[in-house]
Amino acid sequence: MSHRAQRTGGLVAAAVCVLAAAAGAADLKAITKELFAVPSTTGNEGPLAAKIRGLLPKDLAVEADGLGTIAVRAGGTAGPTLILAALDGYGHMVSGITPEGALTLDRPVAPPHARFDAFLLGQPVVIWTAKGPVQGVVSQPAMHLLTPERRKTLVEGFSLEIAYVDIGVRSEKEARAKGVELLDAVTYPAVWTELAGDHWAGPGLGLKAAAAGLVGVASALSGRSGADGAVVCWAAQTKFAARGRGARPAVGAVRAKTRWQPSRTIVVDVVAADKGEGSPATGRGPVLIVAKDGPAALRQAVEAAAAAAGASLQILTAPDSPLALPFAAAPAEVVTLALPVRFLNTPSEVVAVKDLEALQKVLDRFLRPGGAK
Amino acid sequence: MSRRMAVIALALLVSVSWAGAQSKAWEILREIVLVPGVSGHEGPVSDFIQGRLPAGVKAGRDAMHNIWFTVGSGRPHILFVAHSDELGWTVDKVTPEGRVRVKPGGGILPQTVEARPILIHTAKGAVPGIVAPRPGYDERPSQGEAQEAPFTAESFDIFLGVGTEAEARALGVAEGDPVTAKKTFTDFAPGLMATRAVDDRAGCAALLDAALRLKPGAVKGRTVTFAWDVQEETGLFGAAELAKTLKPDYVFAIDTFVSTDSPLESKRFGFLPVGQGAVVRAIDSSNITPKTEILKVLAIAKKRGIPVQVGNSRGGNDGSVFLAGGAVDVPLSWPGAYAHSLIEKIDRRDLEALTDLILAIAADWK
Repeated sequence: MSHRAQRTGGLVAAAVCVLAAAAGAADLKAITKELFAVPSTTGNEGPLAAKIRGLLPKDLAVEADGLGTIAVRAGGTAGPTLILAALDGYGHMVSGITPEGALTLDRPVAPPHARFDAFLLGQPVVIWTAKGPVQGVVSQPAMHLLTPERRKTLVEGFSLEIAYVDIGVRSEKEARAKGVELLDAVTYPAVWTELAGDHWAGPGLGLKAAAAGLVGVASALSGRSGADGAVVCWAAQTKFAARGRGARPAVGAVRAKTRWQPSRTIVVDVVAADKGEGSPATGRGPVLIVAKDGPAALRQAVEAAAAAAGASLQILTAPDSPLALPFAAAPAEVVTLALPVRFLNTPSEVVAVKDLEALQKVLDRFLRPGGAK
Repeated sequence: MSRRMAVIALALLVSVSWAGAQSKAWEILREIVLVPGVSGHEGPVSDFIQGRLPAGVKAGRDAMHNIWFTVGSGRPHILFVAHSDELGWTVDKVTPEGRVRVKPGGGILPQTVEARPILIHTAKGAVPGIVAPRPGYDERPSQGEAQEAPFTAESFDIFLGVGTEAEARALGVAEGDPVTAKKTFTDFAPGLMATRAVDDRAGCAALLDAALRLKPGAVKGRTVTFAWDVQEETGLFGAAELAKTLKPDYVFAIDTFVSTDSPLESKRFGFLPVGQGAVVRAIDSSNITPKTEILKVLAIAKKRGIPVQVGNSRGGNDGSVFLAGGAVDVPLSWPGAYAHSLIEKIDRRDLEALTDLILAIAADWK
C-alpha cells in the first residue's frame, strides 16, 4: 500500500471511528431519554424493567428474581462477575385521597436527605396509575395571601404533612375514576433539559443514565462468549435497607448476592459531584470508589480497563455503600464505579455526557474477553 | 321546524349577533404563555399580540411596548386592559466560574425554583440553566448550627453547563437579560390546566379573543379601547403611562382573581371555585368596586347567560391607576388558584365566560 493510500485508509478508519462514536453517543442519548421517561421508584420498578427488557437484544435471556430485579448473563466459565446497577430511584407514592379529591403522599423508603420532600412545593407531578399517567400539582399557597406566619408554616415548614396533590377533581370518587389508587408512584414529570458543555439535566437522571449505560454494555454481550461468566443486573429495591443489626445493606443487592454468588462485583452507582474541594467532579470521568486504598485485583482490573479504553477515572476512598456491602466479604471483591452527578437527589440532576460515555467504555472493555484479567 | 330546533336556532342567532366566531381564547392562552415577557422586557409578547390583532385596526404602541386600539365613538369611554408582563428575574452578573446571579425580586416563591430549570432570554436565543440547590442541601444540619439562611432570588446561582465567564458570555448571556422559569403544562383534563404566566396571559388572551370576535357595529354610542400594558407586576408602570393619554370613564382591568380554591388555603375569603365562571373583583388590595357597577355587570351577564361570580381577595390591578383621572375601576377576572407560581391553574370555561363578558360589556355598557 502506498503512503498516500495508507494515509487515506487511516483517515477513513478515523472517520469511521468518529462516526461510530457519534452514533454510539446518539444511541446512549436515545436510550437514556427512553429510560428517563419511565417512572421507577422503589417497589414500582416494573415499568423500567420492562423498558430495559425491550431495549436488550433478543438473544440475551433475561433472568428475573421475583422482586423486580432483571439480569442478563454472558457465557463463560471463570465464575460470575456481577455488574449491578439500581433499577429504583427515590420518589413518592399516593398514601391517601381526601374527600375533596386531593391526594396525600408518603415515601416508600427513607429520603436521601432532609430537604428531599421540600422540593415538591408548588411543582407539577405525575401519578402513575394502572389506567395511565394522571397529571397533578402539589399545592402551594398563593403569594398574595402569604402572611409571615403562613410563610413560616406553609413554605419554610413545608413537609409531607401538608403536601396535597391537586389533580383537578372535587371528590374521592372522581379521583378514583381517574384510576388513582393508594401506592401509585408519584414522580416529577420527565422534563429533560440540555445544558451547554454536553450536560443533561432532569429528575432522577443519574440513575436512568447509569442504567442506560448498562443497557449498552449488556447489548455488547450479545453473541459474545467467554466474557468471564458476566452477569449484568438491574436490581430492584436498592433504596430499601435490609433489616438486622449493624450495617444495613440494600435488599436488592442482598438478593443479587444470594442468587448469583459473584466473586467479583462492580456496583454501578451515582455519586454526588461538584460539591467543593475533594469532591468528585462532573466531566472528569467515572468515579472508582473503593473501601480502602491500596492495590486490589479488581480495582487494578478496572483501572487497566479504563486505561485500555482511554477513559480517565476519579478515585474516591469511601466506606462501602448499602449497594456494595453484601459483596464485600473476602475473598469476594467489590468496587463501585459511579457516575458523578451534580445536584444529586434534586429535581434537576445534572450529568456530563462524556462521563456516561466513559463509564460505558470502561465496563465494555472490562467485559471483553481478557479485559478483566 | 320543531319548537326545540327553533329555540336552538334563535339562541345561535342571538349569540352570533353580539359576538363573532367561536372563542379561541384557550388556544391563544396556550401559545402566549410560552412567549417570554418579564416586566420591562415585553417586546416579544407585545409583538405576539400586535401580530394577531384584527385586520384593519389602527393599533398604537409606545416605547414601553404598551399596545392599544380604539373602536366606536361617544360616551362612555370604556377601557379594557390586561397586562402582558410576567414574573421573572434579570441577570445581575456572570461570575468568573460562569454562574449567573439575578437581581432581587421575581414575585415567585424562590423555593419553588430551587433545583429547577430556567431560561435566560439572550440576544442569541434562550439559554437553559439550572438554579443550583442551596449549598449543603443534602447535608444534615449539625446541632447548634445557626438557623439556615432563607433561600431568596439573591441566593440563585444558575449553572449553565460551563465553567468560565467567557464560556457563559459566548452563549450570549449578558447583564440585564430576562430570566423565566422553564414552563410546562399540567393538563388535569381537557380544558383544565396549570402553568406559569397564566397571570396575566389569560387576561391578554381573553382580550385578544374578544377583539377578534368583536363584530363590526357591535359598539354603538360609546368608545371602547382595548389595551395590553406592561410592567404591572413591578408597579403598574405601563398603566400609569397609558393613563397620561387615555381618560376612560370606566376601566375594566382583566387580571387574576386570587382564589383560595386549593387544599392549602383557608376558605375564609376569596373562595371562588375554579370552573364556575368569570369573576367581578368586588374588593382587592387596590380598589373597591361600587356595588352599583357590580350589579350592572351581573345584569348584563344574566341577560347573556354568562356565569359570573363576585368575590373579594388580595392583589392589585391596573385599573386602579385610572381612578385619579376620574374612571370607575371594575376589575374582571377568572378564579385563579396558586397565583404567582409555576402552577397557576385555570379552567377553559372561566376564560371563555370572561371573553363573553368582555364582549357583552363592550356591546351593552351604559
